[in-house]
Amino acid sequence: MVAMNPARTGPAAEPASHRRALAGLVVVIAYLVLTWFVAQASLSVQSVILVAAVFAVLAISLDLVAGMLGLYSLGQGGFFGIGAYMTTILSSRYGWDVFLLLPAVLAVTGLAGAIVGAMSLRVSGLYFAITTFIVTLVLTVLETNLEITGGLQGLLGPAFPDLPEALAPLGAPVAWCIMLALLFCIGLVWNIRRSALYPVLLSIRDAEPFAEAAGARTALIKVGVFSLSAAMAGGAGWLFSFLGVVSPGQFDWSVSLNVLVMVLVGGINTTLGPIVGAMFVSMFPVLVNINPWLQEILYGALSIAAIALLPEGVIGLGRRLFLGRRGIAAPVAHGDAPPPEAVAAGDPSIEQVDAAKAPAAPRASGEVVLECRGIECGYGLGPKVLKGVDLAVRRGEIHGLIGPNGSGKSTLANVIAGRLGPSAGTVTVRGQRVNGLPPSSRARMGLRRTFQAAELVRELTTTQNVTVGLYDRVPGIVRRAALWPMLPSGRRDGAMMRGRARDALGAVGAAGWTGERVGDVPHGIEQLTQLAAVCIAGPDILILDEPATGLSAREVAHLARILADLRRQGVTMVIIEHQTRFLFPLCDQVTVLNLGEVILTGTADEVRANPTVRQVYLGE
Amino acid sequence: MLQFVASGIAIGCVYGMIGMALAITFYVTRIINFAQGQLMMVTVMVTAEVTGLGYSAWLGVVAGLACSCIIGVLSYLIAVRPILAFNRFGFGWLVSTLGFAVMVENGAAWLWGPTSIPFPTILNNTSVHFGEAAVLTGQQILAIATALIAAVVFEVVRKRTLFGKIGMATAADPEMASAFGVNTTTVAIVAFAASALLAGLAGVMIGPSTFANPYLGDTFGTYGFIAMMIGGGTERPVAALYGGILLGLSAEGANALINSRASDWFPFLVLALILVVSPRGLFSSQSPLMRRRVAAAAR
Amino acid sequence: MSTAATHALDIAGLNAGYGRFDVIRDIALRVGKGEAVGLLGPNGAGKTTVLRSVMGLIRQRRGTIRVAGTDVVAMAPFRIARGLAAMAPEGRRLFLDQTVEDNLLLGGLHLRRDAARQERLLASVYELFPVLKGYRRRLSAALSGGEQQMVAIGRMLMSDPEIMLLDEPSVALSPVAVDIVVRALIELRKRGASILLVEQRIDVATRVCDRLYIMTHGEVVEEMTPDTARGAGMSLINKYLG
Repeated sequence: MVAMNPARTGPAAEPASHRRALAGLVVVIAYLVLTWFVAQASLSVQSVILVAAVFAVLAISLDLVAGMLGLYSLGQGGFFGIGAYMTTILSSRYGWDVFLLLPAVLAVTGLAGAIVGAMSLRVSGLYFAITTFIVTLVLTVLETNLEITGGLQGLLGPAFPDLPEALAPLGAPVAWCIMLALLFCIGLVWNIRRSALYPVLLSIRDAEPFAEAAGARTALIKVGVFSLSAAMAGGAGWLFSFLGVVSPGQFDWSVSLNVLVMVLVGGINTTLGPIVGAMFVSMFPVLVNINPWLQEILYGALSIAAIALLPEGVIGLGRRLFLGRRGIAAPVAHGDAPPPEAVAAGDPSIEQVDAAKAPAAPRASGEVVLECRGIECGYGLGPKVLKGVDLAVRRGEIHGLIGPNGSGKSTLANVIAGRLGPSAGTVTVRGQRVNGLPPSSRARMGLRRTFQAAELVRELTTTQNVTVGLYDRVPGIVRRAALWPMLPSGRRDGAMMRGRARDALGAVGAAGWTGERVGDVPHGIEQLTQLAAVCIAGPDILILDEPATGLSAREVAHLARILADLRRQGVTMVIIEHQTRFLFPLCDQVTVLNLGEVILTGTADEVRANPTVRQVYLGE
Repeated sequence: MLQFVASGIAIGCVYGMIGMALAITFYVTRIINFAQGQLMMVTVMVTAEVTGLGYSAWLGVVAGLACSCIIGVLSYLIAVRPILAFNRFGFGWLVSTLGFAVMVENGAAWLWGPTSIPFPTILNNTSVHFGEAAVLTGQQILAIATALIAAVVFEVVRKRTLFGKIGMATAADPEMASAFGVNTTTVAIVAFAASALLAGLAGVMIGPSTFANPYLGDTFGTYGFIAMMIGGGTERPVAALYGGILLGLSAEGANALINSRASDWFPFLVLALILVVSPRGLFSSQSPLMRRRVAAAAR
Repeated sequence: MSTAATHALDIAGLNAGYGRFDVIRDIALRVGKGEAVGLLGPNGAGKTTVLRSVMGLIRQRRGTIRVAGTDVVAMAPFRIARGLAAMAPEGRRLFLDQTVEDNLLLGGLHLRRDAARQERLLASVYELFPVLKGYRRRLSAALSGGEQQMVAIGRMLMSDPEIMLLDEPSVALSPVAVDIVVRALIELRKRGASILLVEQRIDVATRVCDRLYIMTHGEVVEEMTPDTARGAGMSLINKYLG
């Protein structure tokens, strides 16, 4: 099967990728021709276009964090300012070479971004926006009040070095530099959008627990991407310094907000949106040549109208107009398609990737691989949700966890997976104490889990969501992201991941839904997508939180077969479930929780016969 | 020494009122109205205009406050409600309230021109001596009194009246509030009107010393925002007033003790430091300062 | 008297949901005046969605929902709340930063001009849950789970609704607290209240209700009497509830 994957996608993929490369080449050549015209244009036209291009870089830098990670940074203006001032001061006052300054600027702003990011990740959402806003505010104050920055008047930026004599016919060198930098940034973000990191980034944005449970160190990734974004904004500042005077008003908080206007008006999380937005915002005063106050009023009104009427931006609108409303014809037939009978739960090739972690063990006789001892846990000041819970799961067994709603089952799952820290007690995995380890580290130990309410990215397809599950199984996803579609290894791994994700979806019985966005599938398919995303990683220990909720009777029966198959492969499982008819036949052991305490652990028959359990459920 | 403390408290109360105004709308709708400073400016401009036409200053103040309230409600209906209706958790309001601020500011500049026009002196010419140490104008004392009264009134309304309790319920859980008969739109409109009124009052307090200028809103909006952030007004609107006073003290203190231009940067240093220590503000329940008290209260 | 007016709640052909797929489909159920009706089903069956649709908290809803003869399907929640329907929601959702009595008073907002009636209702709540009277000035955040559930039920009673909607009032409560809640619901039924009770625990539902509906996968699949349910016992659990 491993060998078959590329073979199957190969012949179809090759011409398509050639066509895509050719189309890319045409676009790049057209862009270079455009640049040539810009470089030859009159100074006034040129400066309008170049300012727009610098702002486009800035907008792309914001879209990178806001669009893909949901971090609405209002610090872009501040980083932009650092880049511009650093270039201007070091080159004109200390005579540094401007080209040597570029890497220095990128490093300094990137580092500043990492520091600000690490600090403001303590807070999220709105408070992240506010904290970064204040960074810009403080930087503007410094720029205004420091001696070296020339106060409110600012400084005259350095002149861009001339091209060698031979290249003079190309036109203004600064135009080439800015336009090529923009092309580079577009390419970088375009690559990331097509990399295997993209679904991971969106899942950090929309479903962080899911990303963590797949092994992603989400805090580190956020800081890293924010640092990249800050460096990009700093680079924009470097470019901007060649366009004239550098003064505080050009980098204050209103610039940060205007960059956000560009991104939102153009279309967030799109490649072209930030560029369209930047052109609109920066060219607006030039194109609408009326009374300056009236012009500003019109600008304010237009930005309100754009946000209210085009929530997906201009590009989103265009997409809807040209591509039509995709997927309106619901694939009703999918739900009725019988799941494939030959079930290979989890791709067999998983064992090849992770052979060491999933040895084929004899069922339910092995050592204890997962143990909770004396777990106590509560939320805030409220009463304890778990009171001295003990749980021991042997290798290769399926351990059922039942109990009424509110008895603490999901809380226990969260404690085992590392999302909640217990106030007392220990959790051990294969004899190793894991208290204090984050969910991502536990995922890397082969401990995977699903969520009661599916945590998935609604705007991505089920297949893309499932590939997130491979995050820690495919090396170098983060490292290669910036060049992914250009690297043969990236294309190969991308195709392999998609292929395996489709296979995993097929194996759990969702073969008909591989191309659908999660927002467009019924609840049961979301559950199966979650299951596929954990199975694809070849887990050693699985924690399933109500996997049968929302599934039809036939899907439940199929799920039971999948789980039995997984056990045969030696996977240890803890399954939280209410549907005992489905659960009991599967289980080696069942633990009953009520009001945060373990009532009983025993075989399914013992649990069925136990009077206390009957009382809890039936009040008998 | 006492002089800068006294005048710091006075100017701090003005910042604090704008901070409270920001915080009240944030409390109910979870958005920051970037046009808050401009709402203050509207009161200042209208008051100046009406007085300039020869009417009494008090009539001007009433007219100015009324205009601010109307425009405040408009800012909700135009720039907030349609955006929240689409996505309650998005950040579109950042752009739309800023757009509204741009419209109001430039509208004022278009109407009145970009230069300052005279503002009635009110109590600015009377002065009150506090022994040898400090002199305050009547206007400064009025500002302190107004801010304190506003804070007390706000707390009394919030905690003791049915409307305040409805507001608290709407702030805590808008869906449940509506399930028990609260028209959340009405609550939001009242909150926006009240916050515009408060911003307008701040404008009346500061107008005699700044004169009326269409661009006043920028500076004072920013200072109001800082007051809210260092105070922790996003959780408790009254904390914005404490933040404002702290801001005023640090600005006047820096001027008096460092140099005459230090008020331009010193408060921002204070702001940055406070947010490093306590990202949600000094008087928020999560700040190290308050945590023990919250725990004690819960016990 | 028309048949519609004799029912406290009459739902027909109700579809409701959030995205492209409706969570509940073609729901039909009735609660007579003075009747207590249970709605049972596994997690994810759509029970809460039915309650939220009646309360108007889900915008995307089609069909008819008549509360005491008034079709509320196009009404805003705050209008439905004015004496038609009231709910004790899943997770209780009290206004935690306010006192017990304030929570109760917020339950009866539309009666704020009728002090006498509000006073009577408040007295009846304290009669039903005497323990709350001692806690009336306490912050509701400081109460135990059972006491919070009492406040949630009391808050619902304060609007004197035509239909009371309760969403799993037994969740995460100790047996003693469950018993208090069940006794209160039985008392309410005696006083003539119309109740739609979403439950997972059959014992609670059978003790309180006159009739039961079973939901799975967004549809009402069966209707039965409490006696049948009790008789079915474990097999009912195995069949539907888990």
